Amino acid sequence: MNGPLPSTMNFAPRDADGMPVPITESEHSAQLKRSLLKDIQRSAYVYRVDCGGCNGCEIEIFAAITPIFDAERFGIKVVASPRHADILLFTGAVTRAMRMPAIRAYHAAPDPKIVVSYGACGCSGGIFHDLYCVWGGTDKIVPVDVYIPGCPPTPAATIHGFAVALGLLDQKLKASHHQQAENEQATLPHKAVALDIRVLIESEARRMAGYRHGTLIADSFMALMAESSDVRDFDARVVQHLRQEEDPRLAEIFKRLQSVCETPGVRT
Amino acid sequence: MFKLLKIISKAGEATEKYPFAPYPVSPGFRGKPELIAEQCIACAACVVACPPNALSMHTDTAAGTRTWALNLGRCIFCARCEEVCPTQAISLSPDFELAVGSKADLLQQASFSLSHCVRCDTAFAPSKEIDYALALLQQGGLPESQLAAARAELSTCPECKRKLALAALEPAQHLRAQTGARA
Amino acid sequence: MNMSATREAKTGQNYLLALREQFPHAVLDEAWQTADQVTITVKPDSLPDVVAWLYYEQGGWLSVLFGNDERSLNGNFAVYYVLSMEGVIKSWIVVKVLVDPLRQEYPSVTPKVPAAVWGEREVRDMYGLRAVGLPDERRLVLPDDWPEDLHPLRKDTMGYNQRPAPTADTETYQFVNEGGESRVVPLGPLHITSDEPGHFRLFVDGEDIVDADYRMFYVHRGMEKLAETRMDYDQVAFLADRVCGICGFTHSVAYATSVENALGIVVPPRAQAIRTIFLEVERLHSHLLNLGLASHFVGFDTGFMQFFRVREKAMTMAELLTGARKTYGMNLIGGVRRDILKDERRKTLKLIAELRAEITPLVDMLLATPNFKQRTQGIGRLDPKVARDFSPAGPLVRASGFARDIRHDHPYVGYAEPALSNLPFSLHSEESCDVLARVLIRVREFYDSLAMIEYSLDNLPEGPILIEGFSYTPHAFALGFAEAPRGEDIHWSMLGDNQKLYRWRCRAPTYANWPPLRYMLRGNTVSDAPLIVASIDPCYSCTDRVTLVDVNKGKSTTVPYKEIERYGRERTDSPLRRR
Repeated sequence: MNGPLPSTMNFAPRDADGMPVPITESEHSAQLKRSLLKDIQRSAYVYRVDCGGCNGCEIEIFAAITPIFDAERFGIKVVASPRHADILLFTGAVTRAMRMPAIRAYHAAPDPKIVVSYGACGCSGGIFHDLYCVWGGTDKIVPVDVYIPGCPPTPAATIHGFAVALGLLDQKLKASHHQQAENEQATLPHKAVALDIRVLIESEARRMAGYRHGTLIADSFMALMAESSDVRDFDARVVQHLRQEEDPRLAEIFKRLQSVCETPGVRT
Repeated sequence: MFKLLKIISKAGEATEKYPFAPYPVSPGFRGKPELIAEQCIACAACVVACPPNALSMHTDTAAGTRTWALNLGRCIFCARCEEVCPTQAISLSPDFELAVGSKADLLQQASFSLSHCVRCDTAFAPSKEIDYALALLQQGGLPESQLAAARAELSTCPECKRKLALAALEPAQHLRAQTGARA
Repeated sequence: MNMSATREAKTGQNYLLALREQFPHAVLDEAWQTADQVTITVKPDSLPDVVAWLYYEQGGWLSVLFGNDERSLNGNFAVYYVLSMEGVIKSWIVVKVLVDPLRQEYPSVTPKVPAAVWGEREVRDMYGLRAVGLPDERRLVLPDDWPEDLHPLRKDTMGYNQRPAPTADTETYQFVNEGGESRVVPLGPLHITSDEPGHFRLFVDGEDIVDADYRMFYVHRGMEKLAETRMDYDQVAFLADRVCGICGFTHSVAYATSVENALGIVVPPRAQAIRTIFLEVERLHSHLLNLGLASHFVGFDTGFMQFFRVREKAMTMAELLTGARKTYGMNLIGGVRRDILKDERRKTLKLIAELRAEITPLVDMLLATPNFKQRTQGIGRLDPKVARDFSPAGPLVRASGFARDIRHDHPYVGYAEPALSNLPFSLHSEESCDVLARVLIRVREFYDSLAMIEYSLDNLPEGPILIEGFSYTPHAFALGFAEAPRGEDIHWSMLGDNQKLYRWRCRAPTYANWPPLRYMLRGNTVSDAPLIVASIDPCYSCTDRVTLVDVNKGKSTTVPYKEIERYGRERTDSPLRRR
């Protein structure tokens, strides 16, 4: 395959500045593909084209074809050669070095072929989208039929993506555009808790338990504050809550939050 | 060989039923970021934090709008947006079924109106952000009597504020120059 | 782990005293970054001798070497050689040489220490600095279609997002064969088994491999430049996750600790313990992946499927603890982003018990399969002498008689945490140097990881998981490191003066494990090649279609990689003989 290439302009098109542009699909093959998708009765063979991914995507594809997720249930089989493929699965942000090998794989697959762009890097270049040594996604070199976002997509997301590619499932996600409504206002959380105390509680909870658990814990803590009539009532409610949860770590965090409330501005 | 057969028979049917049955993810799974647009004040904290630039904001002063946009095709599901959001407007949901046939469907947007400066009438900050800042000041104990002044302050664009501050400085500088000359 | 190491005991001082005695006028400057990290600037002329002496005479291993454009700081370029000193005293010595911006040359270390070969080739690519005397001056990292004389990491050449038009549509890399007349078997860059593209040439005589060469870096994306430009230094932790899809968390730990070391940040014990748990979870799923692949490559696909079935439990554990199956996005400078509460702890312990119960019979079965032993024993030998010359890492070097593991030699995060002082970690090594030894080591490490996660969950220290409010010191720098499942990740970060990095260097273990591979392939048969490649657990086997070239007849035919892989598994009907 390292021999002379077919006339490179059709094979790997570039623009007037010598920059790569996507291959365009002929109307004929687009039509073939539509009829293929309409009455696909057989199993679909998938060839993976790694265009410079980090392996995260590749391993999740592996996970999708092994026993727990078993994509072969649907006749989806990973094959060794693009010559056997119905679906080409492109991962990675398309590095410079992989541009020509990927294009060769694309041309090697028989028409009609479905191109799936897999993972954040494939869909748009991901975190690498504007770097000097990548072209920024599958659709910068070949036409794409289905995008599967994720970093990496989970095996379940992969199966969902295959089903969408084969027309077995409808896509769930739609573009959305919210327009601010008249009198739309963001609400202040925990109005019953004084602002300075709330800020202290929230930041201490994040320091102790991270952004997610921290938010949940701070919310439950302040909900108890709001329900309580006085300090003694609050302490009783905390004791009861902790007894229910039976989590020593939660008890430790609650104790910290209580001490933060008692001495505003002072960190332990 | 016997050992292997034993393992296989013990494993039985291991395959998940998905997509014929829902696939439950762990609590706290990081799936599609969901924006509760009503709760968003268009402050752009998430945009600044986003490592892959999946989030962006475009301010159109002529139309008086600021548009928040999430490109799900670029998102790495790190939840930095959720972490830095001051109003809990965005969080990562358990939804992982994001495959689309059209790239346009990966784009989620929300447009917010900008407030106009009370002095020069230029559109400069999201009205919801100003309202939220006022509500915070109020909750923080700002007396009712100072509310109007605070609103005027928050509704002045940075450019006009700078001019006002300079104007306020001028007499003092004038005086200082005079004393300097006399000494 | 402290900036003000001046008054404290400096670990590694002994090496410097001996060095000054051996080379009285070589050292120009000495600066300590932490209590056991020192950077010495040496005269260019003495560079090869100093590095070679520390390497071979004092128990040093070359972990990474890299360039830096310091013209705006001190008027010169610089090249750094990072040596992990593993004699009786364990420490880090970074040998630095300043390179004149006009001459752009420095003496090559490679003739004396072969481990420097890739690093010096990369410095040439990225900075245009020439290592005089370097035997191999081919391109390493930059793609074949990249313009000559455009060096991306120079601060004044180009923007991080500038994309020059491709100079070619063909590959121009020259492969080297030291084995004499032979047939050529190219593999790659695309292939079925998975993963990172790479292009191999096997030079064969009949069935026997006489030499091998490879072209890697098909995945070079430009991350190091990105880290200096578009991103803030705290965002780089999320970029480091994506160096590698299997050991991403290890990279982000190495990155975070490099900055924490540079800034003297003391991370809370609980955060360090949680990092250790996530690191070992990553080792679980990575080792199971490799054990599965080892089964696959010896033709035991049922075993492969069984390992992958059970491996999902490790993935579930990762999802449960971090919210993503890849343990991504958990590190911040100063700590971690997620705590472990009662529910996660309980469910993780349950999964550990299940994994142990399910893997034990699987491993017994695998090792009792006669075919497995037959295919792996004595295959792909990494001679200890070659290992010593190239500084490989991970189970690969441990299987060749060298008990080196960063967790043991330079303890970090939870491995150095007093609260986890009885962490059930043990150092495993083997003497037989073959594929089997590497498999056995991974099996033992897998059980250790289970035990370490259990122990850490039961002994999690109290307190916060994140420290904030530290100050950013411009141009401070230090090393950070972590033992990934396949060897150590080494990161070197120098902060800038704008909440960004001035320079970030990250080295994945496979970078150190590729160069000795050609020696491991020599003398084996073609059918063993995929197995040997997989045994270094490169983010892993990298091959696709195979071209057989008969050099004598100047004829070539192409057969699919699948054919070679099939031959590797079945060992009948050689595609070489059929012609």
